[in-house]
Amino acid sequence: MSKAYTLEELLVITVAKEIRDYENVILGIGLPVAAGALAKAIYAPHATLMMESGIIDFEPLLPLNHIADANALRGFAYATDLFSAFTMAYRGFVDVCFLGVGQIDKYGNLNTTVIGDYYKPTMRLPGSGGAADFISYSKRTVLTMLGGEFVKKLDYVTSPGYLAGGNSREKTGRYPKGSGPSMLLTTKGVFRFDPDTKELYLAQIHPKVRIEDIKKNVPWDLKISPDLTETAHPTEEEINFVRKFAPAQAAGRKLMTELVIANISKKMQQKTAG
Amino acid sequence: MSEVKSKIMTANEAIRKFVHDGSSLILGNYTVAAAMALVYEVARQQKKNLTVYSQSGVIDVEVLVAAGCVDRLVSTYVYRGGGRSGGSAVERALQTGTLQMEDYTNFQYNARLVAGMHGFTFIPVLEGVIDTDLFRKRTFMGEDKYRVIKCPYTGKEILTVPAANPDVCIVHVQRADKYGNAQYWGALGSVAAAALSSKRIIVSCEEIVEYDVIKSSPHLTLLPSYRVDAVIEIPWGASPTEVIGYYNLDRFMFSMFSMACGDAKAMQAWMDEWVFNCKDREAYINHYVEKFGSGTLDGFRAKAFYSAPANYGAAFTSIWDGEGRERNMGVTMEEFEKFLKEKGALYE
Repeated sequence: MSKAYTLEELLVITVAKEIRDYENVILGIGLPVAAGALAKAIYAPHATLMMESGIIDFEPLLPLNHIADANALRGFAYATDLFSAFTMAYRGFVDVCFLGVGQIDKYGNLNTTVIGDYYKPTMRLPGSGGAADFISYSKRTVLTMLGGEFVKKLDYVTSPGYLAGGNSREKTGRYPKGSGPSMLLTTKGVFRFDPDTKELYLAQIHPKVRIEDIKKNVPWDLKISPDLTETAHPTEEEINFVRKFAPAQAAGRKLMTELVIANISKKMQQKTAG
Repeated sequence: MSEVKSKIMTANEAIRKFVHDGSSLILGNYTVAAAMALVYEVARQQKKNLTVYSQSGVIDVEVLVAAGCVDRLVSTYVYRGGGRSGGSAVERALQTGTLQMEDYTNFQYNARLVAGMHGFTFIPVLEGVIDTDLFRKRTFMGEDKYRVIKCPYTGKEILTVPAANPDVCIVHVQRADKYGNAQYWGALGSVAAAALSSKRIIVSCEEIVEYDVIKSSPHLTLLPSYRVDAVIEIPWGASPTEVIGYYNLDRFMFSMFSMACGDAKAMQAWMDEWVFNCKDREAYINHYVEKFGSGTLDGFRAKAFYSAPANYGAAFTSIWDGEGRERNMGVTMEEFEKFLKEKGALYE
C-alpha cells in the first residue's frame, strides 16, 4: 500500500504532469506554483518557470504569495517587465500557461470578472489580469477550477476559449493555430476538449467520485470519454514533495485556515499569559 | 549636481502639493512594494473624485475606495477578501453606483502607459480580446476604450488602446537619492511605465542614498531625477506588502485587512485604527509595536542576499596617461601648448 494523499495533493500532481521538459511555462498563484515546482523537481527539470510580473527562470523555495513575489525565490535569471512577458507570449514563446476559472462554458470560454450584471454586479470577481491575453497566445492553456461553476452562458466573457466551438476560434484569424484550452482540472476530474467540436468532455475521474456527481453540476449533457480513466495514485516521491513544498496547499483552504486560526489564538494566549 | 535642488519632503507635503481633488492618480507598483504610506496619506487627506489607475489592486485600491476618494477606476484585477462568501470595498461601491470601473487585461492596461510614457497617442494591443466582453462592455471611456484600425502595412485588423498620461504617480522603491534618482529591483511589472507616463511623480523609498551609490549601479535606476518631483524616505513604507531586500509580506496585518474588507463596518473599523488614527507611517509603526510587540514586524525583515556587483570599470579615467602625456598624440600639456602656439592656432 503506497502512501496516503489528500485530494489537493492529487490535484497538484495531476496538473504538474501537463508541463513537459524544456517548456516555457507561465504559472499562476496557488495550485499552479506548486505544480510548477513539482514539475521542475521531478518531471521537467529544464522547464523555464515564468511569472507575468517579469520574474523569469526561477525555482521557488516556498509558495509565492502572489504573482510578483520574488521574496519566495533565491534570485532569478531574467528580470523583465510585464509588457515584455506578454509580447513574449504573442510572439509564440510561451508553451503552456495556467489559469484559474470562475465560470466556464461548454467550449472553454471563461468568466473571472463578475457574477450577475457587469454594470450592477451581484459579485465582483478579480477580473482578467493576464488571463485573456495568455489564453489567446500560449500554445496550450491548462485551466484549474476549484470553486467555480459550469454554466450554459457566461455572465461575462473574460477570456476566449473555443468561442462557439468547432473551428470558430481558428476562423477569426486572431489566434495561433492549435492554441486554446487543453485541459480543465476540477476537484472531481480532468476534462479535455474534443478535437473537432471543441466541446469539453470528461477524460479522467478522481478516485471515489461517481460520474453522476460530476454530471449534476454540468447544465448540459456532458460527454464522457469512452476511454475514461481513473486518476492514478501518486507516488510517494510526488506526495512528499508537494506536502513539504506547499503544506498549506496540501491541506486545502478549509483545513489550512483551521490551523492558522488555532495558531493565532495560541500566540495571543501566550502573549496575555506572558 | 550641487545646483540641483533636493526634492526631499514629507508624505503630507507631497500629497498636499501634487494630488488634487479630481486628479488622475496612478498606483505605480504592481502587487509588491505598494506605496502604502502614500496611499494612507491620500486617504487621510480625503482627496475626492479621483480617477485611479491600478495594474492590480489589492489593499491599496481597497483603502482608497473605502475612504471614498475614488469615482473612477481603471484596472485589470481587483481584490476580494474571504472568497465567494466575502466581498470588497470595490464590489460595494460598484453595487451602490459610487464607483465606475473600466476593465482591461494586464497587457492592455500596461500598453496604455507604455504609449503615454513614449509620447504616442495610442498603441496596438493583443487582439484576442475582440472576442470578449472586455471589448464589448464599456463604462466611462465609451468608444475610446478600444478602437479597431487597419494596419497600413499588412492590412491586418489591429486592436488599439489610447495612451494614458495620469496627473500623478505614487510609487515606492528600495532606494533613491535626494535629487529623485530612484532605484527599484525585483518584479519589474509595469512600474517604470506607470511612473514615466505620469505628469508628476512622487517617490517614497526605504532609504535615501548618496548620488555616488546611484551612479555606480545605473542598471537599477528606474526613474531619472529630472522626472521625479518629490522624494520621501519612509522605512516600512510599503508594509504590509513586501519589498525585496527589506521585508516580507506582513501576513498578520494582511489577514486583518483581508478579513475586514468583506464587510463595510469591519473595514471602517480597520481603516480608523490603521489609516485615519495614525498620522504618518511612524505613528503606524509605533501603534503596531505597541499592540503586537516589536518581534512581529522584526520577523518579516529580510536577510541579505546580495546581487553580484556589476563591473563598471575601464582601462583609464583620464585622456592623460601616468606621465602626463595625451594618450593618442603622445605630448604633455606643455608640449601641446607650445605646438599650438608654433602653428599659430592660439589667439592672443
